[in-house]
Amino acid sequence: MAESEGARGGRLAAAVASAPGPNAQAAAAPEVTLFCLELLGGRYAFQASLVTEVVRLGPLTRLPSAPAFLPGVFTHRGEVLAVLDIAQLVGREPIAITPSTRAAIATSGAWRVAVIAESIEGLVTIPGRNVEGPPANAASGPAEFLSGVARDHRGTIAILELPRLVEVARARSIPA
Amino acid sequence: MSEPIEILMYQVGARCFASDVHDVRAIRHGITNREDALITSSALGDPFLGDRGLTVELDGVENTLVVDQVLGVRLVTDHELQRLPAIVDALVPSRALVGLAVLDDAPTLLIDLPTLIRETKRQ
Repeated sequence: MAESEGARGGRLAAAVASAPGPNAQAAAAPEVTLFCLELLGGRYAFQASLVTEVVRLGPLTRLPSAPAFLPGVFTHRGEVLAVLDIAQLVGREPIAITPSTRAAIATSGAWRVAVIAESIEGLVTIPGRNVEGPPANAASGPAEFLSGVARDHRGTIAILELPRLVEVARARSIPA
Repeated sequence: MSEPIEILMYQVGARCFASDVHDVRAIRHGITNREDALITSSALGDPFLGDRGLTVELDGVENTLVVDQVLGVRLVTDHELQRLPAIVDALVPSRALVGLAVLDDAPTLLIDLPTLIRETKRQ
């Protein structure tokens, strides 16, 4: 019996080892969770893990000599947060700041910023196979700070890369 | 917790700012545009009326930053002071912005007046 159990166990162990795991399908096509917001008339997103909160903007304190795409700072639960307007960063009309304007707080390394949006869509999960690299013509406009492009049933989502966004913003804030 | 510090609160245009009171040698009233070493426009913006001035000594020379109102001196503790976010340091070229005093839930920018005057004169 013990031998039989051992043999069965052995066969089972071998079978289990060679069988596809319960997450095999997911491993083959991992899903990507994005936090989507509407900007520049389109859908943009950060990796969901980078977005910690969505907040309504408090009264802004404007910063002297700040570039237009950094309209100010505000306090949220005792923390001072800088507001970033991506529309102005790419030379478009500013996003209107009203009492109902909301911002996604995104964090990456040392950078933590409240990105204002025309509207907030929220979390979207997309199969990894539907995510591609950034567009080849990524030299100007929002394309220069994209880490990729995703597609779902609603269309295209441009994935923003926060460190690259800050790098571009930094380059634009230094007077020539 | 460090010793409370005194900040001088003032207004330029529609905005309020605060600076270390010890950087201000004198508060002047009824100043005119004909005076020397008068800084009438800076990164803080343009004053509406500009009939007040904050005199700061810089490299042995007195310079007066024109402001609209001097709102008074306030004692602040370190828990009322906040650093600016790292991204502001990265994106704002002026080194005169040193932080914020969060007073009554309103963030007031802390300005290093000697640096502001030095930067303004350089431009």
